[in-house]
Amino acid sequence: MRGPLLPTAGVGSYSMPGWLERAKNDYLLRRITAHDLEEMHDAAVKAAIKDQEIAGVDIVSDGELRRDNMIDYFAMRLPGVEIDHASKKFYYDYYESVVRARMPMAPLGLAEDFRFLRRFTERRTKLSITGPHSLVKRIRNEYYPSEETFAIEIARVMNLELRELVRAGAEEIQIDEPYYSGFPEDLPWGIRAINALVDGADARVSLHICYGNRYGKPSWEGSYRYLFPAILDARVHQLTLEFARRGGDDLQLFKEFPAPFTLGLGVIDVKSHDTETPAVVAERIRRALAILPPERLAINPDCGLLHLPREVAFAKLGAMVEGARIVRRELQG
Amino acid sequence: MILHINYLPQERRAAASDLMAALFPLLEDEAIDPPLLATLHVHLDWIQYRANFREPVTVRRAADDRGETIPLAELAVDLRQAAPASLRDDLARALASLRAIEGELDDHLVVEDFTPLSRSMIWRFNRLFWQRLADWERHTGRGFEAALPSGRSDANDQRAVVDAVAEFWTLLVDLDKRGQLPPEIFALEIGVGSGTRAALWLDRFKALDQERSTGYYPRLRFLLADYSLPTLDRAMGTVGAHQEAVSTIAMDALNPLRALSFLRYKILYIHLTNVYDNLPADELVRRDGRLYLVEARAYLPRPVARRLAESYGLSPPELRAAVARLVEVGPDLFGDRDRGVAFWREVWDGLRLEERLRRLAGIADAPLPPGLDQHHLEDLLATAPEDVRFHISGGAAESFVNTVPLLHPRGYLQVQDIFVATMDEYRHGFRGPGKLDGSVVNWVNGALLRAVGARAGYDVHFAPFHYRPGSRTTILYTTQRD
Repeated sequence: MRGPLLPTAGVGSYSMPGWLERAKNDYLLRRITAHDLEEMHDAAVKAAIKDQEIAGVDIVSDGELRRDNMIDYFAMRLPGVEIDHASKKFYYDYYESVVRARMPMAPLGLAEDFRFLRRFTERRTKLSITGPHSLVKRIRNEYYPSEETFAIEIARVMNLELRELVRAGAEEIQIDEPYYSGFPEDLPWGIRAINALVDGADARVSLHICYGNRYGKPSWEGSYRYLFPAILDARVHQLTLEFARRGGDDLQLFKEFPAPFTLGLGVIDVKSHDTETPAVVAERIRRALAILPPERLAINPDCGLLHLPREVAFAKLGAMVEGARIVRRELQG
Repeated sequence: MILHINYLPQERRAAASDLMAALFPLLEDEAIDPPLLATLHVHLDWIQYRANFREPVTVRRAADDRGETIPLAELAVDLRQAAPASLRDDLARALASLRAIEGELDDHLVVEDFTPLSRSMIWRFNRLFWQRLADWERHTGRGFEAALPSGRSDANDQRAVVDAVAEFWTLLVDLDKRGQLPPEIFALEIGVGSGTRAALWLDRFKALDQERSTGYYPRLRFLLADYSLPTLDRAMGTVGAHQEAVSTIAMDALNPLRALSFLRYKILYIHLTNVYDNLPADELVRRDGRLYLVEARAYLPRPVARRLAESYGLSPPELRAAVARLVEVGPDLFGDRDRGVAFWREVWDGLRLEERLRRLAGIADAPLPPGLDQHHLEDLLATAPEDVRFHISGGAAESFVNTVPLLHPRGYLQVQDIFVATMDEYRHGFRGPGKLDGSVVNWVNGALLRAVGARAGYDVHFAPFHYRPGSRTTILYTTQRD
């Protein structure tokens, strides 16, 4: 991994401004045009990039502020997915979506998002995409014989997009798969879908698995033990997990199962409005350093910052960065 | 003049007719200003709680956002209280007061300044009641549940409790099958009353556990929570047979998360009965497309004030001071508790609310609870009648948003209370507040809670409490919003 020791990054989404939420709802009700909404998206993304830079984050994202939620942005772009546009009135809800025939190959247009991000920051960048397992759980399948074949097919289509992103210059890509934690029995084929998705994509790939953050609350509870040892077969460079809210017990799994990838260590509880101090963040990093060497650790929040007020999200990023710096100084003497 | 017949029971139709016959000549006699007459709203109401803060006929003036009186007024008649013999005089007095310059009416001893309803002194009386419940009950010679309209609490309905346990059981079995049942099974009762419901619930849960040999009961951690220590002590006595499974915690229902933050996302079942109806609320009125905040000040009708002053040897200013001191220090204000409780009961019995409508400059000035912004209010108003008076159930909403973070991802909240489930139901008149023994009781805006719930990631549903015919209780329950 190039860059500083203990590199810091967001997991993806940044605080969603209230005015943008209202604009998204207004767009659904056709009170504003797509052009107006896009202008607002551009402004919000630029502000999110700037906030991350000012907070000192090493790897910057676009804050995912163009997205209504983690599913619809992809469901609307996946070729062959039919969307019932009348099925939601609140932007954060999910559209009713269905696949009724074999999905053709076609680009999703994510490279444009990446180019926009690249244009407004000199920092390292990361773009996140929702993984096939999570998409399969939300898009109704009326064609493929099983969830697994549907997921592999989505992976095949999205693999093309990953390659396009790499061609556009993307070096870091994150795949979000929160639904694993709700359906641990799917893990074997879920990982096969991940491997199909990343096949031949020459980028650093991290796989983010959490316990959900819908409406800023967990969708499931449990232990990451269900991931092991199957997850060791995932052909990714980093596993990004939540440890701030849930505590560090599951860190022991990395001692029990030596992993071929680095760990994206969640050090910020995104479900609490209380801002961690840098000292707390530093302590959470030290706890992980008792298990893994610093070269195998990256630092991030537990999940996206979408549901936090902007000032809280910004303060949390700042605390994360400062906490990482404290430990970096300790390690480097 | 605009007439609102909000509710007209069959047996009161003649009274309503008498009222109109008395009103029209009075309007002429009292020479109401034409601009005021054009905007005068006359409401015929029926208030569920016989004991309430209204007199048979009341008036409300309106003021703009700077406090200047504006030509909008309401004349409100509680058909339940209105007596045919005195109706004409009551109406005449009310109409005469419309001409009075803003200030204290001659027949009122005002004991606080105008303030939004949620900050009225009545809520301090309410708190006093729960803190000094034992003193009150000793003096009245009956338990507070006996004051309920049906004489008993729907919380303690055996069949409802059996169904509630069965529903919870289904959840536990499902979690167990998936290997997701936590080692400790947390359940929480907020607002414990006499503890009877908790005892019934625990008895049933234990019996079911023994019957099915599931081993859930030893894992159960049942929390009784209330802000009244005497109430908790009493409830703990009632659940005596389950002391191993039960803990008590003193906390404010407005913010359970503060006291129980260590249980965030861990509690599988949270239940409240008649708590939301006992939390401060504001009220908004929409007239001719403009929003008004209801402001109120508590007063004692002059005859009541005179009687109290004589009985307790107080001048009017001393009486006003004694009322303020009562809600500060409780019934020991005279150094004689029995005398203090008697004074407390008489004051409470006589206490009324004078109201005025304060025009809001815009929707953003409405007092909104956590979890709700003016855009949600706009959405609510879009589903409401044009002319409407409705609750901003701020206390209930605050409690809700500070409770749901305690829920396990598969957990749920159940609330038995009196809800106005849709904004359209406000079409049917004045909803409160009322008095229930020494406490305040108020309908809760369910439509508002539905909006707050959606924002917090929960769908909020309402089901009628079908276990007792004629019950006005509704059961609110949450499901995870996808």
